[in-house]
Amino acid sequence: MIRTPLRPLARILSARQKGENPDAIERENIRVRHEEMRDRARRRAEGRLLVIGAFFLFAFVAVGLRMGALASSQPSEPRTGGGAASIVAQRADIVDRNGRILATNLITDALYAQPPLMVDKARAAAELARVFPDLDEAELLKQFESKRKFLWIKKRIAPEQKQAVHDIGDPGLLFGPREMRLYPNGKLAAHVLGGSSFGREGVHSAEVIGVAGVEKTFDGFLRDPTMGGQPLQLSLDMTIQAATERVLYGGMKLMNARGATAILMDVQTGEVISLVSLPNFDPNTRPNPLLAGVPSDSPLFNRAVQGVYELGSTFKIFAIAQALEERLVSPSMMIDTRGPLTWGKYRIRDFHDYGKELSVTDVIVKSSNIGTARIAIMIGAERQQKFLGSLGFLEPTKVELVEAPGAKPLTPKNWSEISTMTISYGHGLSASPLHLATAYASILNGGTKVTPTLLKQTGGQPGPRVVSQATSEVVRSMLRQVVVRGTASFGEVPGYAVGGKTGTADKPKERGGGYYKDKVIATFASVFPAHDPKYVLVVTLDEPVETSGTEPRRTAGWTAVPVAAEIIRRVAPLLGLRPEIEPGAVDKVTLTSN
Amino acid sequence: MSYLEYNVTRIPTGLRKTLHLNWPLIILLTAVASIGFLMLYSVAGGSLRPWAEPQMKRFGVGMVAMLFVAVVPIWFWRNISALAYAGSLGLLVLVELIGVTGMGAQRWIDLGFFMLQPSELAKITLVMILAAYYDWLDIKKTSHPLWVFFPLVMILVPTALVLKQPDLGTALLLIMGGGIMMFVAGVHWLYFAAVISAGIGTVYAVIVSRGTEWQLLKDYQYRRIDTFLDPANDPLGAGYHITQSKIALGSGGWTGRGFMQGTQSRLNFLPEKHTDFIFTTLAEEFGFIGGISLLTLYAMIVFFCIVSAMRNKDRYGSLVTLGIAATFFLYFAVNMSMVMGLAPVVGVPLPMVSWGGSAMLVLLAAFGLVQSAHIHRPRANK
Repeated sequence: MIRTPLRPLARILSARQKGENPDAIERENIRVRHEEMRDRARRRAEGRLLVIGAFFLFAFVAVGLRMGALASSQPSEPRTGGGAASIVAQRADIVDRNGRILATNLITDALYAQPPLMVDKARAAAELARVFPDLDEAELLKQFESKRKFLWIKKRIAPEQKQAVHDIGDPGLLFGPREMRLYPNGKLAAHVLGGSSFGREGVHSAEVIGVAGVEKTFDGFLRDPTMGGQPLQLSLDMTIQAATERVLYGGMKLMNARGATAILMDVQTGEVISLVSLPNFDPNTRPNPLLAGVPSDSPLFNRAVQGVYELGSTFKIFAIAQALEERLVSPSMMIDTRGPLTWGKYRIRDFHDYGKELSVTDVIVKSSNIGTARIAIMIGAERQQKFLGSLGFLEPTKVELVEAPGAKPLTPKNWSEISTMTISYGHGLSASPLHLATAYASILNGGTKVTPTLLKQTGGQPGPRVVSQATSEVVRSMLRQVVVRGTASFGEVPGYAVGGKTGTADKPKERGGGYYKDKVIATFASVFPAHDPKYVLVVTLDEPVETSGTEPRRTAGWTAVPVAAEIIRRVAPLLGLRPEIEPGAVDKVTLTSN
Repeated sequence: MSYLEYNVTRIPTGLRKTLHLNWPLIILLTAVASIGFLMLYSVAGGSLRPWAEPQMKRFGVGMVAMLFVAVVPIWFWRNISALAYAGSLGLLVLVELIGVTGMGAQRWIDLGFFMLQPSELAKITLVMILAAYYDWLDIKKTSHPLWVFFPLVMILVPTALVLKQPDLGTALLLIMGGGIMMFVAGVHWLYFAAVISAGIGTVYAVIVSRGTEWQLLKDYQYRRIDTFLDPANDPLGAGYHITQSKIALGSGGWTGRGFMQGTQSRLNFLPEKHTDFIFTTLAEEFGFIGGISLLTLYAMIVFFCIVSAMRNKDRYGSLVTLGIAATFFLYFAVNMSMVMGLAPVVGVPLPMVSWGGSAMLVLLAAFGLVQSAHIHRPRANK
């Protein structure tokens, strides 16, 4: 930029000659320059103002147009904030695989008081104490007459109670709408659903938050307003869940057990069709956690998922399946079963003496610890660990319950050879019944790994292979023979070709120091139909005693098996399986037929 | 502006100042406030209590304050700008410490007779300090990065304090008002282009990254944004007000249901009916015609301010006038857009109409500054 000099030499010299003050020229030039600058700034400011003005105008026009558009829109009927239909969408429903409601919402009211608005505090307190017998009149009156401007009286009230409070007619008693979580089926599927409680509370609404089970796992999904109230669909079938619960409850009582659990799983998809843990609770009135004692004694404890037990002889099938898979044995190969098997300072015994040797099939059928242990030695610790890992026994199940990640299987710190042997018949490794059901499903469905899930699946790829199709078929037939001529003979259900394996494990003492002699965990892991497996059912009874005989019987064959058989008898038709009855002899032609 | 001003060559003194007030502006403000009284009367179910009467008293007090501010020479206000700004920052800090909590935010200081909302005050003092700063600053330095940095700090400090309350609406108003001041003061437009494109870029990155591995926010934060932008997703939460106010506007139609005949407001569908959402009452009772009239009154107020600023050769007076006009514009533009579902719901009152003490008093005092700038503008010495 070319600038005019402030003191142009020619003018200064001429001014000096005329005797004028040359500084006046400089002042004059400075003034001119400042005016130019100010004019430039003003022009720019005016341009800026024009831009801002245009922006303002645009905003006016936009608001005006919008106002016109709204004014010409069709008016719709005003709605009140307490409209029942709309509040329901606040937390999504939970439904079973057929869309039947497992958890929904109920509109109710909360009752609160604003003492400054109250007319007759003494009468209101007296009347309230009459409507709600659990409230104390004197205490209420004290609260009303304190300086408080607001207090909650009841968080959830019934319509009759609301009417009764209306009848008191005091303007200081007010209602706030509440959305309440309702489990219409009561205790049904309690451990899966978990439960909910109120989070942040206000006068006009309260937040419902999941505290356990799928309510907590999917809390974000259920509360997400962008899902548009889309329900959470579980894999459970409400009818089958109810039948399982009822039969299992009866079985638990008959067998004098402390607790029981049953899991019915689809072998192909890993969907859990029913999951029961007894004793259970009502999620509508979720009990408080136990403050003292063993947490597993609480009805809140989910034995199927949180309980890790030594599952006994049900584990034998894994050793046999692996040995078959590795071509170490064949079903008819004879195994030395002379006992006791001594290994260092340990001795392994059988329940009965099975003589000199048994075929591999009979090791399963008769449930020989010694035979299984010998096969486990052939496999070795490393391969066994890898195989059990591939079945999911070394990590928590991935089922969608918040409780699941806490139930990590207990494995030996040092996987020695004696550990290999004891684990092969189900001692020294504790896992949840859900682990067992998943592993059975993986081996029996043709040999592909399944992941247990509580969500209804549509299609999906089979998991990685764990055993071959051939091994899977051999194992099925072995399990079938356990029921036909082995330890689970009470498991036969006509028409449904049940197969399975029993397991009876002594319970470890809670404070350590060995095992109880008279307390067992009895498990029956079954599959039906054995020739074409569709479902796996695992039934576990905690401390069962069957007392109909001359001496108490505790083995799974006498306790868990008949309960499981009854469950299958009840649920198999509900699952849509047709009984396969051998066709009888064709009736002879009779005189009356033509 | 008026015929009285012809041939006036020097700044008026004494009582003559009242003749040189910007009377059209006063008339417009009174008209808007009167609409507010009517609406508050209607919302209360045809009663002066509990809202219309206190509001009228406040308007009276506010007018006196405005006249007082107007007759004090504008250079006095310029000289105390920094002090006023520091004072309002102090109040904002104080409200953090001893403030009264209401509606989920800590915004008020209880003065005994009056609940002061320092964030309202901060909007005006920010305008004052920015105007004084640009008046002081050599024009050549306006776009120098160092001299752009200082006003940015001046804007961001009160914004951060207000955000902490939390009051998103006021924070937005502060940033936008300050931005307009800087723009009008002549800061190079490249700064604004850079800030705006950075903002758009950030928003774009946040949206595009959603659902990918490197997404910038948590899922629930995205859902919160969704609800914020489209309240229809959550019709009983954030969207409740909007749904109801749209219904009210629709039910008002072109000519409205008539005075005191509104359903939405009278039947208590809208909890904020006398404050931020009072426009719905107007639109329902007087329809499109009523709404557009109020909009026109507002537009005229802004227009008169801009004209006054353009005729004012004093840089401070001109900038203060524009800044207050911009603040006023932002108030009602944001409020109306919010009520009509054009913008997300942030708590911004409808100026001069919504029930509320601080906003009314502070705005009238601010228009006192506009008047003072108008009265004491330099005249050409002929």
